[in-house]
Amino acid sequence: MPAILESARQLAGADTGDLSMTFREKTAWLNVIAMIAAYTVYFGLLLSGHPAGRDVFPMLWLFGAIAVAHAVTVIVGTVILSAQAPKSERVRADERDRAIAGGAATTAYYVLLVGMMVVGVYMPFVDGGVRLANCGLFAIVAAELVNSIVVLLSYRRGWHG
Amino acid sequence: MAKPPFTNDIRTLRFLAGEMTQGDLGDRVGVTRQTIAAIEQGKYSPSLEVAFRIARCFDKPLEAVFQWSDDAD
Repeated sequence: MPAILESARQLAGADTGDLSMTFREKTAWLNVIAMIAAYTVYFGLLLSGHPAGRDVFPMLWLFGAIAVAHAVTVIVGTVILSAQAPKSERVRADERDRAIAGGAATTAYYVLLVGMMVVGVYMPFVDGGVRLANCGLFAIVAAELVNSIVVLLSYRRGWHG
Repeated sequence: MAKPPFTNDIRTLRFLAGEMTQGDLGDRVGVTRQTIAAIEQGKYSPSLEVAFRIARCFDKPLEAVFQWSDDAD
């Protein structure tokens, strides 16, 4: 094999394209999966008539348990991913990571804004605060989910500001 | 997402610069290997600073690395 072709083959071997996920992309996947799992359980229980949909203390207990489980999952997962990631990827977010995070946060802000406006409009029509709190919580979860999804799409499909 | 209105010759320049890898270039420019890969594939438009840093790594002017696409106007 000519030397130049061998060199080109080695160079191609060293560059695996961008199909491999960065540490930050993997943590975004972790966030999405953990959030969908945790809050599907939470809102699923509310819709199936769990007292957390009506009373304050059951809501606080259920939400507390779900939030702690979610946080522990994300922390443990991040520690595992961090241990597996090359050091060069763990050090700092570069400008692409920051641009993607900024764009995703802007999109998520509008989701949160609309969600909170809906909660505000709904407020005068309900007596208890629990339902209202759950609606607000849903808006926050939806916004965070949109944030993570936009991050993932931007890493896969590209980002041009 | 739409491609940026310019192309680049980073891959060729890396090859000509002693078979520099994406990781090596990324280290020298201050971005990750994946960001260099995304720039090469037109999936990310770098900042002016990173574009200049890339050009300086190859000791080339900016327009030798990035070219405006004629059909983008």
